[in-house]
Amino acid sequence: MASRDKVKALVLAGFGLNCDWETAHALELAGAQARRVHISDLTGTARRKPTETLDGYQILVFDGGFCWGDDHGAGVLLATRLGNHLGEQLRTFLERGGLVIGICNGFQGLVNLGLLPLLEPGWPRQVALAANDCGNFQDRWVELLVEPESPCLFTKGIKRLDLPMRHGEGKLVCEPAVLTRLESQGLVAMRYGDGRGRRAAGAWPANPNGSMNDIAGICDPTGRVFGLMPHPEGFYRASQHPDYTLRREKARRRGKPLDPLSPGLGLSIFINAVAAAQETL
Amino acid sequence: MPIRLEIGLKPGLNDPAGQGLAHKARAYLGLRLEAARVLRVLTFDTGLDGAQLEKVRQAIFTNPVTEVSSFKPLAEQALPEFDWALWVGLKPGVRDNEGATALEAMADVLGRAFGPQEAVYASRLYLLKAPRLSAEGAEAICRQLLANGLIQTWRVIPRHEWDPALGVGIVIPRVELAHEPSLRTFAINSDQELLELSAARDLFLNPADVPVIRAYFNDPAVRAARAKVGLSDPTDVELEYVSQARSDHCNHNTFNGRFYYQDLVSGERKTVDNLFKECIKAPTEALAAAKDWVVSVLWDNAGVARLDAENNYVITGETHNSPSNMEAYGGAITGIVGVYRDPMGTGKGSKLVAGLWGFCVAPRDYAGELQPALHPRRLLDGIIEGVRDGGNKSGIPTALGLLYFDPRYLGKCLVFVSAVGVMPALVNGQPTHEKTTEPGELVVMCGGRVGADGIHGVTASSAGYSENTPAGHVQIGDPYTQKKMHDFLLEARDQGLVPYLTDNGGGGLSSSVGESARFSPGAEVDLKQVPLKYQGLDPWQIWVSESQERMTVAVRPQDEKAFLDLADKHQVEATVIGRFSGDGKLRLDYGDQVCCYVDVEFLERGFPQWEFEALWTPPAARGLAEPVVTPPAELGWLLQELLGSPNLCSREWINRQYDHEVQGSSLIKPFCGRGRDVPSEAAVLLPVLTSRVGLAMSQVIAPDYGDIDTYHMVTASMAEAYGRVAAVGGDPEQVGGVDNFCWPSIIYNPANNPDGRYKAAQLVRACWALKDGCQALEIPLLSGKDSMYVDGTLTSARGLRRRVSGPPTMMFTATAPVPDLEAVQSLEPKLAGDLVYVLGATKDELGGGALYGLWGQTGLQVPVTDFEQVREVCRTLHQALKAGLVASACVPSRGGLGMALARMALASRLGLEVDLDKLPVHGQLDHMRRLFSESTGRLVVTVAPQRAKEFEQLLKDIPWACLGRVTKAQRVAARSGGQEVLGLTVAQMRAAWRRRFGRMV
Repeated sequence: MASRDKVKALVLAGFGLNCDWETAHALELAGAQARRVHISDLTGTARRKPTETLDGYQILVFDGGFCWGDDHGAGVLLATRLGNHLGEQLRTFLERGGLVIGICNGFQGLVNLGLLPLLEPGWPRQVALAANDCGNFQDRWVELLVEPESPCLFTKGIKRLDLPMRHGEGKLVCEPAVLTRLESQGLVAMRYGDGRGRRAAGAWPANPNGSMNDIAGICDPTGRVFGLMPHPEGFYRASQHPDYTLRREKARRRGKPLDPLSPGLGLSIFINAVAAAQETL
Repeated sequence: MPIRLEIGLKPGLNDPAGQGLAHKARAYLGLRLEAARVLRVLTFDTGLDGAQLEKVRQAIFTNPVTEVSSFKPLAEQALPEFDWALWVGLKPGVRDNEGATALEAMADVLGRAFGPQEAVYASRLYLLKAPRLSAEGAEAICRQLLANGLIQTWRVIPRHEWDPALGVGIVIPRVELAHEPSLRTFAINSDQELLELSAARDLFLNPADVPVIRAYFNDPAVRAARAKVGLSDPTDVELEYVSQARSDHCNHNTFNGRFYYQDLVSGERKTVDNLFKECIKAPTEALAAAKDWVVSVLWDNAGVARLDAENNYVITGETHNSPSNMEAYGGAITGIVGVYRDPMGTGKGSKLVAGLWGFCVAPRDYAGELQPALHPRRLLDGIIEGVRDGGNKSGIPTALGLLYFDPRYLGKCLVFVSAVGVMPALVNGQPTHEKTTEPGELVVMCGGRVGADGIHGVTASSAGYSENTPAGHVQIGDPYTQKKMHDFLLEARDQGLVPYLTDNGGGGLSSSVGESARFSPGAEVDLKQVPLKYQGLDPWQIWVSESQERMTVAVRPQDEKAFLDLADKHQVEATVIGRFSGDGKLRLDYGDQVCCYVDVEFLERGFPQWEFEALWTPPAARGLAEPVVTPPAELGWLLQELLGSPNLCSREWINRQYDHEVQGSSLIKPFCGRGRDVPSEAAVLLPVLTSRVGLAMSQVIAPDYGDIDTYHMVTASMAEAYGRVAAVGGDPEQVGGVDNFCWPSIIYNPANNPDGRYKAAQLVRACWALKDGCQALEIPLLSGKDSMYVDGTLTSARGLRRRVSGPPTMMFTATAPVPDLEAVQSLEPKLAGDLVYVLGATKDELGGGALYGLWGQTGLQVPVTDFEQVREVCRTLHQALKAGLVASACVPSRGGLGMALARMALASRLGLEVDLDKLPVHGQLDHMRRLFSESTGRLVVTVAPQRAKEFEQLLKDIPWACLGRVTKAQRVAARSGGQEVLGLTVAQMRAAWRRRFGRMV
C-alpha cells in the first residue's frame, strides 16, 4: 500500500504523558502511520501558535502517562487543556468518523473531557475513574473479557485477552442511571475476568481497582470512541506476556519457535482500529 | 484576598485515602478511628475575582461525578460526626507540585498570566470520627503518620474548638526573605582564621586544605589578576565554591586517599597510593582499551557501553541516604528523580529507560530503646512511596529492586537508586557520548528555579528561624517538571542544538558550571540572570543551591532562538545565564558586581591527599568460629523458617506499586512465574523497540558476608550479579558493572570512632576484591559512587546516646546485552518431567549465610569465590541458552540450593525431586550443608529429557550433576542416604514465604 493510503494516527505527547513511544510503535506494527505530536503543537502556548491540527488523521490516541502530574485528578488537566483549545477540532474529527482511543491516563482524559460515554450532546462528565479501592498504584496483569454485543470497533473478534494494568485511579464510578444506560446500550466493551474466563465479580486483585460491574473499558454509542484502563500496547508483542518463556518452551517442544517479537494479543486492538479507519479513507 | 477551596469525595463514595489512614493508625499506633475522610485544600493567593474562582472550581478542581467542593468549610458535609480535624500543609519554600500545576492549569483556562506574587498552596484536611481519641493521639497521627516537621506544618483541632464558619483558616506559606542580597569578602590572615570562618559558615573545610586555599589567594600573580577586575580578598561566593568542590561528596577524598594497610596477625604491610586509581580506574581502563563495546567510562555523569550496532546504553547508580533518613518520601523521590538526570546529562543526553532501587533499613518491627529520626516502618513506607511517585511519574520502568533489613541501618538507612538510559551511537553523524564546550557558547540553565534548597541550614541559622523561613535542606522532587525537561532536551539533542549538557546535582551551578568550564576552558556567568523561586538570595546561595530538576546546557549563539523556542513548546524554563570563554577563568558577576574570579583549574592544584591507617584482623583472630551443629534428619522446617525470614520472604508489595512495564520494553519483569510473584534473577528490557537486542541487569548486596571478610563479600556479590545476568540470557562476555559503596566512617578517632582503622581495612579489602573480580570476570566498571558516612548517633528516652554504624555495604549492579532475544530465560521450571541439573561445586560455606542468620550466628566459612568456575559455568549456560537447551535457570544464593529449589517451585507451581547425594561437592558435606551452603558460581537449570544428551556435551571443565526431575506434584522433595530429608508442598512454602508481608498492598 502506498503510504498516502495509509491510515494516519496521532499519538499525543508531552506534559507528562509517557506511553507515546510504544503506542506509536504498536500502531505502526498494526499498519498505521503514527506520529507523536506534542500537545503544545496542537494547542499552542502563550507565545506560540499551534503548528498542528487533527486534519488528515483518522485515529487519535490519548495515551497513558501522568499528564500534569495527575495532581488534580488523573486526566483532569489534560481534559481542561484540550477542551479549552481543541473542542471544535475534536467535534469535527468525530463527525467525520475519526476513531479515538484513550488508554489509562488517556481514558481518564476522555471521561473528563466528556468524550466518553457520549450519551448525550454537550459532552457532560458522567463517568469518573476514581482512586483504586486498594489505595495504591498497582502494576499487574489482568484478564479482560470482551463483551461480544458491544458496538466497540476496537474489540471486534476478540473474546478475552491478558493485559497489564498500571494505575492508581481506575475505579469506574457513575450514577446508577448512567450505569444502566452503559449496560443496556452495550457500551461496556470489556470487563475484568477472574483469570478463568468468568467475571471477577469485584474480587481483588482480579478486579484491581473496585470498578463497578468489573468495567475495564467503555465505548460511545457509535463504537468509535473507546477508553480502557489496561494497556493494549503493553502486550503488543508476545514476549511482553509474563508467561512468554513458558509459552515459548511449550512451542519449542512442538518444534515451533515463538518469536519474541511476534504480535501479542494487545496488538489486535490497534489492528482493529486501523481496519475500521481504513474504511473512512 | 486569599481564599480557600476544599474538595472532597461525595459522601456516599469510598475514601481509600481515609481508609488507609485508619488502617495505619490502628496498625502502627494502636489508635482506633471509626471513620476518616480526606479533603484536598487549595489556598488561592491570587487576584482572581469571584467569577474566575468559580470558573476554575468547576472546570478544573471538581469532578462532578465523584466530588463536591466549596469555598466554605466542607467538613460538616464530608463527615458530619467528625471528632477531630487535622490540617497538614507544607512549610514555606518546600516544593508544592500540586500548587504549581494548579496555577499552570488556571493560567490556561482563564487565559491570564499570574504574577510572581500570586500562588496556589495545596494542603490536606483529615476528618476523623474517633470519639475516644485523645489530643495526644491526634497529635501522634499528625507527627508519626501524616506529616514531617522538617517540611510540613499541622494543626490539630478538636470538634469543640471547630469554627464552622472559618474552618481551618487561611495559611499562606509564602517565602519572604527580608534580605538585600549582598557580597562579602574576607581578609584571611592566618590558617586559624580560615578554619574559624569555615566553622562559622558550615564550610566543612579540611584543615589540610586550608593552607592551599590561602596560598592561592595570596599568590601575587593571582592577586594582580583579581585586582584588574576589582577583587582582592576571597569572597563568600569563592569560599563556598571551594567548600563544595573539595567536599568528600564531590571530590571523593576517601577513595582518592592513601591507605597504610597492615594485617595485624601476619604483620604484612601494604600501601595503596590511591584506592580509586589502583582498584577501579586501572582495571577499568585496561578493559576499556581491550573491549570495543566499552564506549565511555570514568569521566562523565554515567558510563556508556554498546547495546547493539546503532545504540549504546548508559548507566549509573547513586545513593540518597542522609536526606531519606530525615524525610523518607522527599529524600527518596529526590534521589530517584535526581539519579535520572545523570544519564540525561551524559554525552549529549540519553533517553531514560529503567530505574532500579535498593533499600537497607532496620527491621520494620523495631521496638528498641533508641529513637531514630523516623521509625524504620515509617521510614520504609516513605522511601517506597517516594520511589513510586518519582519513577511512575517519570514514565520510566522501575525494573528491579531489593530490600534488606539489618538493625545496624538504624543509624542511617540506605537508599540506592540507579538509572539506565539509551542513546543512538550517532546523532547527526556525531558520537552522542562525546561533549565539549567552546568559547562563545552560551551557558543556559533549564528546568526548575533556584531557591535556598540544599544549602545546609545556613540560611536558617543566619536569618533566625521564623514562619517564613524556607525549609532548606530537605527537598521534594518534581518528576513532572523533569519529565518535560527530559522530552525537551532529547528533542533539542536530535536537532543538533546541544553540544554539551550536564546536570545540576550536588553543588548546583557551582558544580555544573565549574565542570563544564574546564573544557572551553573558562566561563562568565551573571548570577542575577538565574531565575529564582523567591527574592532575597545572596549570590553565593544562588551559586551553590541544590534546587532540583535543573540542567546546564551549552548552546551555540546562533542556536539560541531555536533552543529557547523549543523550551517554550515543552513549557520548560530555559535562561541564558552567561557564556563560555577561553581564558581559563571562572568569572561570576551579580549585576555590576564581580563576585568570583578564579582559575578554572585551581581546585585541582596542590591539594593534599587524605591518608588513612587500615588495620586488619583476620576473622579467626577476631574470634569468629563455625557454630557447632548437628543437623536434624528432616530439614523442611528449616527451609520454611528461611522462607519466612525478613530478608528472604516475599516483598511483592513494593515493586507491585512501581510501573515496571511502561515504555513497552519489558521482557523479564521483576516478578516471574505463574503467580507472577517470585522475584526474577535479573530484569531484561528491550530498550529500543525496533532492535532485537535486550539489556539484562541485576543487583546484589551481601552485607552479612562482610561481617567475616569484606573481600569475600564483594567477590560473592560480583559472582552472583554476573551469574544472574547470565541466567536471564545476558552475554557473559559483555558484562558491565556499577559499584556503590556505603561505608561507615573510616576516619579513626579514639573517642568517636575507635574501630575506624578496622573499617578502613574493610574498605581496602573490598576494593581489592573489586579489582580482582573485575580482572577475573572482565567486568569494566561503567560507573560507581561512594557514600562514606553511614553512621548515626541516636538517643533514647532515658538519655542514652549511642553511635550506630551501618555495616560495610556494597551494591554491585551488573548489566549485559542479550544479543539473542531467543536466549532470554526465567527461573521457573516449565514442564514436568524435565531434568534438574546443578552446575558448579558446593563447599562447606555457610558462614555469613542465611541459615546461621536464623540462629543469630555468623560463622567463619564465608563463600570463597572461584572466579574461574563462575566464568566457565556462566559461559556454558550461555551456550546452552542460545541453543535453546535450557528451560529455566536459577542462581543459588542466600539460603543456598534449598532456597533456589523453593523459588523454582513457587514460581512454576510444579514440584522438584532431587537427590542431594549426587550434588558435586568439595570435601565432606552433610545433607544440611548440601542444601543450605551458599557457595558461589553455581546454577540450577532444568532441561527437557530429549535434549539432555546435547546439553551434557556442553558441560566440559565444570563440576555438574543431574540431581533429579521436575514433577507435576507441587512439592519439593530432597533425598539423602536413601531417606527423604526434605518434603514441602508449594502451598506450605508459599504460606511461610508470604506470612510476613504477603498482605501488604
